[in-house]
Amino acid sequence: MKGKMKLFLSVLLAIGFVLVLSACGDDSDGATDEDGNWTGTITIWDGPRWAEEGDTSGEEGKGNQYFWLEGKIKEFEEANPGVKIELVQVPWAEMPDKLGVNIAGQSWPDIAPVDISGSAVSIDHIDQGVIEPLNDFFTEEEMGDFYENALDAYTYNDKLYGIPNSITVHSMLLNLDLFEEAGVKAPENGEWTWDEFVDAAEKLTFDRDGDGKIDVYGFSTYILPGYYEAWPFFYINGGQPLSDDLSEFAFDSPEAIEAIQALADLKLVNEAAPVSMGGADVGGTFQAWASEEQRTVAMEPWATWAISSAQTANPTNFMVANYPTGSTGEPVTIGGVGGWTMFKQESDAKKEVVAEFMKSISDTDEQFLMSQSYGIFPARISAAEMEPFAENPEMARAQEMSSQVVMLPRHPEWKKIDEIIQRELQLVFNGEKTAEEAMATAKPEVEALLGE
Amino acid sequence: MHKLYTKYKTTNYIPKKDSRGGRILQLSARFKNAGKSLKRTGKEMRKNYAAYLFLLPKLILFALFIVVPVVWAFLLSFQEYRIVDSNVFVFLDNYKAVFESEAFKKALLNTTIYTVVTVPFNVITALIAASLIHSLGKFAQNFFRAAFYLPTVTSMVIIAMVWRWMYNYEFGLFNHVMGLLGMEPINWLGQTDSALWAIIIMQMLIPFGVGIILYMASMSSISESLYEAATIDGANAFQKWLKITIPMLTPSTVYLTLLSTIGSFQVFTQIILMTGGGPGYATETLVHLIYKTGFRDFEFGLAAAQSVVLFFIIFVISVLQYKVLNRNK
Repeated sequence: MKGKMKLFLSVLLAIGFVLVLSACGDDSDGATDEDGNWTGTITIWDGPRWAEEGDTSGEEGKGNQYFWLEGKIKEFEEANPGVKIELVQVPWAEMPDKLGVNIAGQSWPDIAPVDISGSAVSIDHIDQGVIEPLNDFFTEEEMGDFYENALDAYTYNDKLYGIPNSITVHSMLLNLDLFEEAGVKAPENGEWTWDEFVDAAEKLTFDRDGDGKIDVYGFSTYILPGYYEAWPFFYINGGQPLSDDLSEFAFDSPEAIEAIQALADLKLVNEAAPVSMGGADVGGTFQAWASEEQRTVAMEPWATWAISSAQTANPTNFMVANYPTGSTGEPVTIGGVGGWTMFKQESDAKKEVVAEFMKSISDTDEQFLMSQSYGIFPARISAAEMEPFAENPEMARAQEMSSQVVMLPRHPEWKKIDEIIQRELQLVFNGEKTAEEAMATAKPEVEALLGE
Repeated sequence: MHKLYTKYKTTNYIPKKDSRGGRILQLSARFKNAGKSLKRTGKEMRKNYAAYLFLLPKLILFALFIVVPVVWAFLLSFQEYRIVDSNVFVFLDNYKAVFESEAFKKALLNTTIYTVVTVPFNVITALIAASLIHSLGKFAQNFFRAAFYLPTVTSMVIIAMVWRWMYNYEFGLFNHVMGLLGMEPINWLGQTDSALWAIIIMQMLIPFGVGIILYMASMSSISESLYEAATIDGANAFQKWLKITIPMLTPSTVYLTLLSTIGSFQVFTQIILMTGGGPGYATETLVHLIYKTGFRDFEFGLAAAQSVVLFFIIFVISVLQYKVLNRNK
């Protein structure tokens, strides 16, 4: 009995030892088969996108929102025997934090969908060598098919650090039912000046039931580090946060100060915005415009996703308009670029296969399909020319705004700079500081970071 | 040979440290005793090896998931964290940056105000609530115990979301009630002078369930004879509560104050969900700042230094609280 026990324990120990050793082993770099092709596993992260029509499976009845990428993976695996692609499903809300933690722990995936201006991956990561440059995998002709601002977003020190897949813009969303109720004419072709916008906002602020309290406000938005819905308003007179060479703080220029104060005054002086405007409640602000039970705000600026939400989850009679023009006379908006990023690889052979897969999921056909099904604007000119929004005038209108896009400054310390500016903007919008005072406070702090 | 040393060697006499030789011998004696103590511990461990074997899994987990990260964080606080390359040793630069940072000073002030107000309030209200419930019948006791404990098992995320709605300027509960009373509405979370207090009020109004349960358990163990003696001496109910109940509950009060202080210095969920630290830096707190430094800016060395400073703040306050609250013991 004692002997059997010893044998059992020895076997158990041996199994444990093997398991530990195999866990310690790293086969992520794969191997090369007899034909010289790389074989091994590629890991890709993605968030939920869209489900096949009629698919209502899953707990929330949303269907399998990963079926598109699963299909592309299957195709690629069949064409490349020995290559296995592992899809890790990550909810979009968790993507920045999860990616951030994995980057810090050096356990990043091979590919992930990354908005390079977003919170998970930054210029600092590129500087530290976490992201692989992709120039070697694209010809000049292939590069020419992408919009210039899309390529710019992923370009740093003349190297391309991702394949642009989609462009998003911020646009003004106007609730046409409220416009009609207040007897206000919506801007023709979505184009208007600042004065016309203020006039409309004032008229759209009204007491519906005659109880002496305002029920509907003309405009609202929020101010929070990392979010830029309100920012195009600050550019309309020619202002910008940093100088072109990124060496100086520029939001203290008269053009920027005037624009910032004018938007804050829409609440503080014109009283055409609710007291909560300029707060930090993102969800509450959107609900005030979109939720059927509320709809207490007639106009709000949002990113592209809100258009699709207003067409599906919160059906609303709305139109897409430009941000109003200021003294420059040119409409302006802020955009973001989404795309696929390759994380640091140890093996050149694997890098080639990873790049090949990335290209296969971001070619013209895939970008066209994604635009139609997922409500984003293609980053490839050829996909845009296929007119994915021929039957969706609101998305088509927003897509036209892509030409007005200005990108946020590409500075390694941008997140900290952004926080300093946005914290001060919050104080302007709650009336505790003037725009001039706030930007004067921000200036030395920002310039200290610019000088580092 | 020195006569003190001879006496020490032969009789284990430990001299007073009023002379240089005495001080050296006393130190030597301490080492000797420590050695003996270690030997004794070793012997005891061999004797009770089965018990230590049972404790081993927990000790390994404790070492892996608590001791190692704490030591690593401490070491990291002297380095600049690099993701791909090796970390750079920067000695005290991270600590210098912590103490020069305006955001850290503001976060420390906010966290201190939050703690100074919420901890005494929560502990005192738990004591009062437990005393009132303790005097009720069995059924009522169970009902109130469960009712007050319920928020403790509810996620802070849910509580914060509900409170954010209650603080909403346009349609929140508080402004609605204030409107009915003819009062002007307040932009609770949107103004620098009210945002931190809104968070504090929220924490004060969430019943301190753990405190109530612990106080009630301690009250049950107070001997009835003390109350009977006080009754004979003519003490009324309030006097008995003040002179018997409260002093007898001192160990529980010390424990709850420490627990509550540590928790308050780590306030995070309600900040990230309700204000994001704003407006301005009005509700910035230490743990929220550490989180941002680590996971937004990826400056893990600096975040580790901030964590170490927070650790020492909590440690010093805890020791002081323990000494002050236990001074009559």
